[in-house]
Amino acid sequence: MTQRLKEVDVVVIGVGMVGSIVAKELAAAGYKVVGLERGEARFTVPQFQSPAIHDELRFDIRKALMQDNTREAVTFRNQSSETALPIRRWESFLPGTGLGGSMVHWNGQTYRFQANDFELATRTRARYGSKFLDPDVTIQDWGVTYDDLEPHYDRFEYLLGTSGKAGNIKGKIVPGGDPHESPRSREYPTPPQKEHYSGAMFRRAASSLGYHPFPQPSSNLSQPYTNPEGVKLNACVFCGFCERYACEHFAKSVPQTIILPVLLANPNFELRTGCQVQRINLDSTRKKAKGVTYIDAAGREFEQPASLVITSSFALNNVRMLLLSRIGTPYDPTTAKGVVGRNYAYQTMSSVASFFDEDVFINPFMASGASGTIINDFAGDNFDHSGLGFIGGSFIGAVNTNGRPIQYHPVPPGTPSWGKGWKDAVIKHYNHTVMFSLHGSSVSTRQNYLDLDPTYKDAWGQPLLRMTFDFPQNDLKMAAHVTAKAVEIGKAMGAKEVAGSPRKGPYTTTQYQTTHNTGGTVMGGDPSTSVVNRYLQSWDVPNVFVIGASAYPQNASWNPTNTLGALTYWAIDAIKHKYLKNPGRLVSA
Amino acid sequence: MGSILRRCDTSRTLVLAALIAFATYGIARAETPAPASAPVCQGCHGLHGEGNGAAAIPRLAGQSAEYLRKQLEDYASGDRANPVMQNLAKPLTHADIEALATYFSTAEAPHTMNPSTANSAQLDLGHRLANQGSEIKRVQACNSCHGPDGIGVPQAAPYLAGQSAEYLTSALTSFQQRTRKDDPGGLMTSIAGQLDASDIAAAAAYFASLPSNAP
Repeated sequence: MTQRLKEVDVVVIGVGMVGSIVAKELAAAGYKVVGLERGEARFTVPQFQSPAIHDELRFDIRKALMQDNTREAVTFRNQSSETALPIRRWESFLPGTGLGGSMVHWNGQTYRFQANDFELATRTRARYGSKFLDPDVTIQDWGVTYDDLEPHYDRFEYLLGTSGKAGNIKGKIVPGGDPHESPRSREYPTPPQKEHYSGAMFRRAASSLGYHPFPQPSSNLSQPYTNPEGVKLNACVFCGFCERYACEHFAKSVPQTIILPVLLANPNFELRTGCQVQRINLDSTRKKAKGVTYIDAAGREFEQPASLVITSSFALNNVRMLLLSRIGTPYDPTTAKGVVGRNYAYQTMSSVASFFDEDVFINPFMASGASGTIINDFAGDNFDHSGLGFIGGSFIGAVNTNGRPIQYHPVPPGTPSWGKGWKDAVIKHYNHTVMFSLHGSSVSTRQNYLDLDPTYKDAWGQPLLRMTFDFPQNDLKMAAHVTAKAVEIGKAMGAKEVAGSPRKGPYTTTQYQTTHNTGGTVMGGDPSTSVVNRYLQSWDVPNVFVIGASAYPQNASWNPTNTLGALTYWAIDAIKHKYLKNPGRLVSA
Repeated sequence: MGSILRRCDTSRTLVLAALIAFATYGIARAETPAPASAPVCQGCHGLHGEGNGAAAIPRLAGQSAEYLRKQLEDYASGDRANPVMQNLAKPLTHADIEALATYFSTAEAPHTMNPSTANSAQLDLGHRLANQGSEIKRVQACNSCHGPDGIGVPQAAPYLAGQSAEYLTSALTSFQQRTRKDDPGGLMTSIAGQLDASDIAAAAAYFASLPSNAP
């Protein structure tokens, strides 16, 4: 028996990074907002404190902070011709859950995309011609430009207190930063984190080869900081337990440390945890949302009416929410018609290991999640792709995030996989190896998409999301190219041995890569190739906004979080100043 | 040799034997002999660094050698402001500092601090700050860095357990008032800046109430 609750102005589905910001802005503007979070409430004190949080077996291996995939998983296959099976153990990507969402356990790597990325289709054609791309590649323009988003990037970075060095302020190149970056209006809110020794070695070698190294922008702060919301963060202590863990020091920018104290103090906002939203309910015209239906932790079903519904859950879950609610036409890869689930992309990760003599000490355990030194010389369209047969690129960096005992065991190729030979090699190389991260772009293709699984269901009886994905040739060629370049940097560092591991197909979900799943509810200017307009408003149902990396038409060379933060502020601006003043379509179809 | 022993009475022989045994007992912890520069320290801090609670003079016995070394250097440079300690630390050579840090870090001293006069509410608050921190005050648990029950993590953080409450109060206050500016990354300054006087008193009282590293 579904209980119908009193109507509110706004329902926010998912109180993670996006949900926290959206709810805070709307509650502060005077609207009654209900935030539905399927996970638990958790706070820096006591849930994130030591020593319990420094438990590698619990958090790294057993994924304690991640979505419980015994209740809600994703099914996966490489091709449409295969049968998708449920992912029983998260490895490739690690969807989060709980108050604060995945941001609670992110690494804090905070990059902006470049101007080129937002108009990728137009600019690629202009530079390389319309025949350059493989016809199956379906990259698109976003419908917004970097200039549209710049003030919102700035606002988000100042919310987080991100530590970095600007490379381009209003068109003027600033030494010490990334000369390839698109112009920013001012410096970062806090200076860069201290450079790791491996980063210093990388910087010297990369400079010697004519590249432009710069400190990785980090939301593990270099110094204490009070953000414009009045919330205070502390300085990172380089404990080496960043990704997959929560920060006990109030030093990582997560909703708990940047905005939740303000949100939770506002009586206009009500947080409900343990609430699994089943669907967005539409009226009989199917062009207006009435609210949502959810099931609480006691198994009771509720209907929460609302004038405005914002789905701000993890990218994959946003796509699933629209499919389960039957908002928008699902994508069909055989006809290439439909939009929901279309243009799913990921991240193309490669690595290089540089092995040094035992008199070179790397101390990998002294790390933050973003203490790295990077070059963008082979990222995006920062280099001439003529004749190479691919678009896109990777940032390359000595990115040392941890030296944790269970997982960090770099050994040279040819080392036995187990036994005394392996153990000897681990002891020999543990403190004398530098790992490079090659973080590569991901184009969308006709064949990679998301839809609902025909067989498997979640604990509430609803179909699971099905993922059909394999690495396009474009991205594998890109990975080979950038890995070769990175190997040269390793050699220039004076390593005894350098081993490059370029990404190879087929894509497998059994090896960790990133949780940078994008697309499926793509934003754009054309409703036949996008699910939401440039303000992230559903083309089909104007009182539904879909805010997440599911909006990305393809993925760029950098981590998606900063861009999502910028899009969130951009969308909330439109919602507050345009939509709520005059509800209806913000863009004519 | 034998004639000297025959002239001693039995009890003196036993005392001599006991002293030899006591001296060799410490081999596992290897209390090093006090260096020549030690007397000026021992005058206030005690023969084996047992400290003087009421005078807010800290216990040094068994403290992290790296921490002791850094504090002497910081007193000498003024990064940690204290006129008495600065005058005493300035004339020390690197070799002196090394020897003193080694001596006190291996010293064993009985527990001499006054029992805590804190009430149970204070001890409860101190316990919470030590083990959980405070969400509202934006401070992490003290034990995150200072080790389980504040027993210290050599090289990273000094022990707090069994330390003088008066000394701990003055140390936290000096971070808060920025007369002590020697904490890496400004971490203690940041933490102390978020605490008020009653938090500081509670944390100090709690740690003082814990057993020290006395043998």
